[in-house]
Amino acid sequence: MSLVKPFDKLPTLNSAAILLVGTDESQQQQLAEAILKEKKIFKINIHVATSLPLPAERDHIRPRIDLIVFMINMQSKHSLRNVEASLSHMDANFFLGKVCFLITGVGRMNHCSVEMNAVRKLGNLYCSPVLFCELESEGIRVATAQRLLRMLQICAGHVPGVSALFFSSLMKSSIDE
Amino acid sequence: MEPLQRVKAASQALGKLAAHSAAAGGSGAASGLGAAAGEKLDLVILLRLREQIKQQLMEYNTTVHAGEESIPDQAIEEKLIEAATEDLEREMEQVKVSFQNKTLVLQRIQLLDALRTKLRHNDGDSKLILETIKHIIMLSTAILESQQQARELEEKLNEIKKRRFALKQAGEHKLLQIHTLKKKQKEELEGMEVGEMLKRICGNLQKETQMTMLIQNIFQSIIIGSKVNWAEDPVLKAIVLQLEKNVTCI
Repeated sequence: MSLVKPFDKLPTLNSAAILLVGTDESQQQQLAEAILKEKKIFKINIHVATSLPLPAERDHIRPRIDLIVFMINMQSKHSLRNVEASLSHMDANFFLGKVCFLITGVGRMNHCSVEMNAVRKLGNLYCSPVLFCELESEGIRVATAQRLLRMLQICAGHVPGVSALFFSSLMKSSIDE
Repeated sequence: MEPLQRVKAASQALGKLAAHSAAAGGSGAASGLGAAAGEKLDLVILLRLREQIKQQLMEYNTTVHAGEESIPDQAIEEKLIEAATEDLEREMEQVKVSFQNKTLVLQRIQLLDALRTKLRHNDGDSKLILETIKHIIMLSTAILESQQQARELEEKLNEIKKRRFALKQAGEHKLLQIHTLKKKQKEELEGMEVGEMLKRICGNLQKETQMTMLIQNIFQSIIIGSKVNWAEDPVLKAIVLQLEKNVTCI
């Protein structure tokens, strides 16, 4: 059981690694395929896990993880609890912009079992941006994939002058002002 | 700083690898245009990689600096405490020294007081004490006198040394003067001698020329006086003509 640390390992040239944590594997597969289909100039490693901590046996072959996306399905409380449990197994340095919460299943708001307030509180508590998407719809899936790809680029340090710490601007909403 | 060095080493190695792969890609292209375009692309790729590595290095730098940051307040406090400890130590030293001095003085006073009371008793011991004290005083005065005499003698010695030194210097100065004077004289003499020789030579030369002129004139007058027709005889003619040439014109 190893703690994932953001600056533990050296980065590989022109590549980035993203970790998707969530209970719904089919959704993760869909999102991974959408990300891979996008046009990009660097290599991407997509790692998929159901929960943290990651098994320690494969720690040495694992590359440096640049972005962790926690996928929460609005229709299942189990996913929320799973994510909350995994959050305690992470190094605090990750929360400086390298963590993102992805809420899926927002297309069917009448079947929600997870409350929006709970999700927003989670985002505020861990100072990370919260993205909403509906992976069933093709257009939104592609858009989410593009967003995640851009965030991954910035987190991996491929964009000069922009750091992952700037994502705090994504968390401010106009209502709060 | 270790991770930073590792990053630098790794980025250098990766840069070399990228350059190799870029060069290999560029050399593999068939046409010249293709090669040029390939080279341009490789350059762009390399520049982009360079920017990437720069950004990543900056991120690592910031993390390292954030980790080793020290609170400035603490540093200032530490300095203050250090300065205060130094001051206190110095004060303690001073106090110790003064305390020791005071104990010494106290002990001396006690000793003298004991001596005085003993003397007042005026018994055998006190007489002994008085005698020793008188002896001590006599010796001290003798010491003082001899010290003073020694000082006076030293001063006299110093004076003599100074005078000797001054004399030595004056002697050196005079010698130098003599030396220069002698040199000047020698030079003058040499100059004069050469002039003398020239004058003598001149005088000799003049005497000789005068003598030859005289002899020439005598010859001329002899030949003319003998009323010989010297124009006929070429030998005589040559001689007379030659005699006309003034010796001084040569």
